[in-house]
Amino acid sequence: MATNDQRTTDLNKVLNRRRIINLTGLAIANLLISLWMGQQAYSWLPPQASAESILIDKLFSFMTAVGTFIFNGVVGTLLYSVLFQRAAKYDPSDGPPIEGNVKLEIIWTGIPILLILWIGTVSYQTYDQMGILGSMTQKTMETVETVPAEPTQKVATSVEESATSAPIEVHSRQWAWEFRYPKEGVSSTELHLPVNQRAKFKLTSEDVIHGFFVPAFRVKQDIIPGKEIDFSFTPIREGRYRLRDSLYSGTYFAANQTDVVVESEAAYQKWLQTAAKTTPTAAANVAQTEFAQAEKTSVSLGWATVKPAPAPIVNYSNQPNTSQPTPQFEEEPHE
Amino acid sequence: MSSVNVNVKPDPTLNSQAAHSHEEEDHRMFGFIVFLLSESVIFFSFFVGYIVYKTNATDWLPAGFEGLEIKEPLINTVVLVSSSFVIYFAERFLHKENLWGFRLFWLLTMAMGSFFLYGQAVEWMGLPFGFKDGVFGGTFYLLTGFHGLHVLTGVLLQGLMLGRSFLPNNYEEGEFGVEATSLFWHFVDVIWIVLFLLIYVWR
Amino acid sequence: MSNASVETRPNSQLAAPDPQQPEPGAPENWRRFFSFSTDHKVIGIQYIVTAFVFFLFGGLLAMVMRGELITPDADLVDRTVYNGLFTMHGTIMLFMWTFPMLNGLANYLVPLMIGARDMAFPRLNAIAFWLVPIFGVILTASFFVPGGPSQSGWWAYPPVSLQNPTGNLINGQSLWLVAVALSGVSSIMGAVNIVTTIFRMRAPGMGWFKMPAFVWTVFSAQIIQLIGLPALTAGAVMLLLDLTTGTSFFDPVKGGDPVLYQHFFWFYSHPAVYVIVLPIFGVFSEIFPVYARKPLFGYKVVVVSSLLITVLSLVVWVHHMFASGTPGWMRMLFMFSTMAISIPTGIKVFAWVATVWGGKLRLTSAMLFGLGGLSTFLFAGITGIMLSSAPFDIHVNNTYFVVGHFHYVINGAVVMGFYAAIYHWFPKMTGRMYYEGLGKLHFALTFIGINLIFLPMHPLGLMGMPRRVASYDPEFAFWNVIASLGGFLLGVSTLPFILNMLSSWTRGEQAGDNPWRAIGLEWLVSSPPPHENFEEIPIIVSPPYGYGSDEPLVSNNPKGTFEESAASTQIANLAGEAN
Repeated sequence: MATNDQRTTDLNKVLNRRRIINLTGLAIANLLISLWMGQQAYSWLPPQASAESILIDKLFSFMTAVGTFIFNGVVGTLLYSVLFQRAAKYDPSDGPPIEGNVKLEIIWTGIPILLILWIGTVSYQTYDQMGILGSMTQKTMETVETVPAEPTQKVATSVEESATSAPIEVHSRQWAWEFRYPKEGVSSTELHLPVNQRAKFKLTSEDVIHGFFVPAFRVKQDIIPGKEIDFSFTPIREGRYRLRDSLYSGTYFAANQTDVVVESEAAYQKWLQTAAKTTPTAAANVAQTEFAQAEKTSVSLGWATVKPAPAPIVNYSNQPNTSQPTPQFEEEPHE
Repeated sequence: MSSVNVNVKPDPTLNSQAAHSHEEEDHRMFGFIVFLLSESVIFFSFFVGYIVYKTNATDWLPAGFEGLEIKEPLINTVVLVSSSFVIYFAERFLHKENLWGFRLFWLLTMAMGSFFLYGQAVEWMGLPFGFKDGVFGGTFYLLTGFHGLHVLTGVLLQGLMLGRSFLPNNYEEGEFGVEATSLFWHFVDVIWIVLFLLIYVWR
Repeated sequence: MSNASVETRPNSQLAAPDPQQPEPGAPENWRRFFSFSTDHKVIGIQYIVTAFVFFLFGGLLAMVMRGELITPDADLVDRTVYNGLFTMHGTIMLFMWTFPMLNGLANYLVPLMIGARDMAFPRLNAIAFWLVPIFGVILTASFFVPGGPSQSGWWAYPPVSLQNPTGNLINGQSLWLVAVALSGVSSIMGAVNIVTTIFRMRAPGMGWFKMPAFVWTVFSAQIIQLIGLPALTAGAVMLLLDLTTGTSFFDPVKGGDPVLYQHFFWFYSHPAVYVIVLPIFGVFSEIFPVYARKPLFGYKVVVVSSLLITVLSLVVWVHHMFASGTPGWMRMLFMFSTMAISIPTGIKVFAWVATVWGGKLRLTSAMLFGLGGLSTFLFAGITGIMLSSAPFDIHVNNTYFVVGHFHYVINGAVVMGFYAAIYHWFPKMTGRMYYEGLGKLHFALTFIGINLIFLPMHPLGLMGMPRRVASYDPEFAFWNVIASLGGFLLGVSTLPFILNMLSSWTRGEQAGDNPWRAIGLEWLVSSPPPHENFEEIPIIVSPPYGYGSDEPLVSNNPKGTFEESAASTQIANLAGEAN
């Protein structure tokens, strides 16, 4: 063992300088790769369509860079061992009996603590900034007396609440989204928002927990039945985005999606006015269609399901999702 | 080589088996305490649930119900808590090998436990709300019922121990059964005190 | 090595004259695996094999799901079937595979490692095991009741789990709850037993800091079971009452609070991940020293960090509910507590790397799986820190990013760690060697399969694909196709393993007591160990992992055989000169 130690220290002396240079070189290379990965991280995310998304993407990019650095460091070390520190074929001897190194252990306890504090602080700041924007939900925890049953009544009462910008009511149910603009008296299955304005919402659910999720906005909020939840964010980019149910809500959960249209103030007002004049009709609804079809064919191999709620009756309804084609029912019996 | 082995073999095996059952004897109390600690988390969870419901609910009590009567449950509480002392004396008698003293006090504990169960049943009968009447009804019956189940288990265990005290040589291998039952009884008592404070005293 | 095995053969046969237990592990004596045996080694193998059967079942369900997800439409199976599949996949994989499998490893190894003849309560042990097939059957039976199995996901969040479309009292959801409750009972029995065993039955000389790291991690994990499981049980009881008797604990229509259930559920189910992964950390700590021929680096810090993880794991659960409408202060508090858990975990990772560094590596199947599991775990740990950051979590919560993350933990680290453990202790359990070539093939397929299926889930989640969907927008198709192919490859990867195990167990080469020249009490007895493990309870004089030093681990001969006691196997093995 003594010889082993001797050899190690000798080696250390000889290789010390070269080793430091090598290690520094590797660390710099790793740093560059990590920074590059951090930049790549932006391209893995959907378009930045809200003020919040810019903050969150920055945070993710930062965490990706830090994570890459650690991953490369650890896996690189392991790979080096695997490639160059293998026992020779008939070498039964043991490695150096190093049982620990207090200095090293303190370092690798300290560095993660600092890293965590760093990531935690950056996260906290991001959260704080989002809070200034008012995006994080200020929950009104008061229980709604009854689960909203009569939609028209609700719209009527909430008009008085605020004169300027009444929050848009988001009604979720199994399995449809309905958006009501109380001031304008418009209801729709597609969410329209004016660009660069704070969008405020009141989220409610009629049956189970749903999740309001627009990936392009990086926002998500569970909607707890029996509660009314305030929610807000600021869309900053015109376009059409997907709104998805993010919390599993039963059979047709995957089909409980719709579109968000962010448009200019003018286009938004025009849309509201046109919609207000349209007589409400039952919207197309994937869950309804599929359920009706399944009942008709009665060859369904499926198990029992909760009956979908009737399709919302709205002034404006979007076409059955183009990006969510209706299944080919003709094919089902074959399977 | 093999002869040596064969000669040596049987002894350690025999010894180890004897040691084995003896060891298990020693570990039982430790294992039982571990189990009780774990069991207390269930009660703790129910308590937390009760507190959350009570502090958040808008209509806590069922309509037309003013609040729980505290007098009878208080008598019940006194009986159950004092039974903890009675069972302690029973255990003392057993340690002094006074079997009849043990049996007398043990039986008294059982009687007090049964009285508690009876009182609980009477209270349940007289209540104007049921299991399904809101969160209050649910948590009330869940907590008292789950605790009552433990009291019943305790009384049944005590009955078993009482019966076994008549077996000859029952205590040759220690008094684990009696000690564990007694510990369980103290546990049930402590839980009841918390439960009583939460449900009856806290308004 | 061959020398040693020739010598040990006659001994191990003589060591057990009892006809009931002629040679544990011998194929001709397979019937005892179907009996109510109280031998911890038999129970351990019973657990592992039963769990593995359910692993294959759960994997099959996953492959049907990947088949569904290879196209954007819901076209392979009905939506309700898909929902039942992912619910049962999650439930089976957790309650029927990982928990029983780890209990099996702990059962087999803990008494051997601490120098005990059996568990503290052998009969309780057997009962705990036999509950596994019972609730396994209940869970499987739910496929055949009207309305099919539970379709509410393995979280069983109310109100979805309370909807019960069939209206029957016996439905998939109620059977699910009964099975989960029984699983809890079985796990509590196991936990009481294991904790008592470790506390009370360590051999003389085995202080806490002479215990192998695996025992430490098992101990830490079982403490979590004892504290966390009752909370889940409480939640499950209340949910079952809501479902069957119409109480209103979690039903918002009647004034109940569905979010409270989430607290009950995650208070246990997040720590449950540590219940699963801690013993695998133990496996890593056992395996790296053996195949790197170096002591475990920073042993004391590594084992104490296990307990630290236990404590921290109990105060992080709300990070599953960042999007559930938790108040801001709670989000920040739990963000920091969650991040803090990466510190003891990081200590372990660095210690393993330092253990491997500068060693004399032997890349056996066990070592390959250990290293593979470590690297996938590292990746999962990094995405885990990302997830703990509340603002970012709000974006990826309930998306495939989370699915990818925890499969990197469960399938990456835990299943690979399990394979590592099986390859490492297979010679001990059966007395036979496995085929190294098949093991390496198994590793290659598994490692590629795991990365192929689970890596694409991260971009999918970042793009915003929610989890638990039977259909998805076509923009997600590319990564889903790759993931599905990886899934099928992962399915195929189990074949060489099964082939290897079955053929090696029946006709593998004789292993000898200590084929890896490993240090540890289990390697001082014959393979497979005799019924009572140790003829003489070992007296431990050295800390574990004394690789590279000459100190003997014990001062007596636990095998109790005279001719070997002085200078042969165990002492020689410690010096690393067996060949």
